[in-house]
Amino acid sequence: MPARQSIRHRRARRKLVRDFELPLTSMMDMLVIILVFLLKSYSASTNSFSSVQGLKLPISKSQEIPPDSLQVVVTPEGLNFEDQRIVQFVMKADAVGSSEGTYELRSEDLDEEGLRIRSLFDALTRSREKAELLRAKAKARDESGQPLPFDGVLAIQADQRVRYETIRRIMYTAAAAGYKTFRFLAMSREG
Amino acid sequence: MLRRPSARRKREINEVQLNLVPILDAMVTLIAFLLYTMSFLAIVSIESPFPEASPDINRKKLETPPLQLTLSVRENETEIWSPFQKIEPKKFPHLEPGKPDTGSIHEALLAIKQQFPQENQVVVAPHPALNYDALIGVMDSARTLEATDPPIYYKNESTGMDEAAKTLFGDVVFGNLLGEE
Repeated sequence: MPARQSIRHRRARRKLVRDFELPLTSMMDMLVIILVFLLKSYSASTNSFSSVQGLKLPISKSQEIPPDSLQVVVTPEGLNFEDQRIVQFVMKADAVGSSEGTYELRSEDLDEEGLRIRSLFDALTRSREKAELLRAKAKARDESGQPLPFDGVLAIQADQRVRYETIRRIMYTAAAAGYKTFRFLAMSREG
Repeated sequence: MLRRPSARRKREINEVQLNLVPILDAMVTLIAFLLYTMSFLAIVSIESPFPEASPDINRKKLETPPLQLTLSVRENETEIWSPFQKIEPKKFPHLEPGKPDTGSIHEALLAIKQQFPQENQVVVAPHPALNYDALIGVMDSARTLEATDPPIYYKNESTGMDEAAKTLFGDVVFGNLLGEE
């Protein structure tokens, strides 16, 4: 009786298709756990600091999470401001394969007895003027009705091989351009 | 006479099933968004203001000499001293060239903090050749109180209560930005 068997077979198959349901409860449990974990670790990542390939940040015990601000990225190859290379360092002959920061700034990039970096000063000044203009146009005002003052915060993200001599020049230049607070960025010891 | 068959088996069980599919969709979208916008680098910062000098500040310093704790990181050693001779200067040779002995520096600063619990500022004057890694290490040793460090209490002037210090010398200022070593 092949016809009868076939009808039974078809009915059984139809029933199977109708009753099959994907067990979503366990999947939901898993997704809730992932979501809770992501939300918990999300609070620690409110900044959007970009980095440069090959940059090795030092590790710090500090627990202060830096808020967003303008940033300078320094590597033994050069100096970047807001994702643009503005100063290219001169590599010394012994720089190849060296773990030390063997680089020099070109004398034409410096002024004020070698303390100020010209192109960085120009870039920082432009950024400050832009920020001040935006604040002047904004509706937010202080108690005396004046535009909110420029916060003057500069984040410095430097490779661990970069010398203090370079960082000092950056701080001097930034201070001359109106930036009075510096944030030294590093990797968290717990991260 | 036979009894009427029980209708218990035939009774339909009303199963209420929650429709999880839209919740699942929302969760997947949320997870994708969080993963996309998340930063996996845990970046921290150490803040330092540009040092300011004025005749008023200098006059006050001459009237009541402050501690002005100074950390001079030289080529081969680190010295902890006070320009107003408030503490006995101490020198710590580097562990290796360009690597200050941050452990010993931290211990010495801890003893000074116990002596001057209200003080919160340290002036750092690093050698120009000191690298950023060592600089961060020195700043950490001067700022951070470890969990193993003994608690230090200071009198909060606004509340008049004794409070435990959260940082060692939390305000780091650079003392040689104008080029002198």
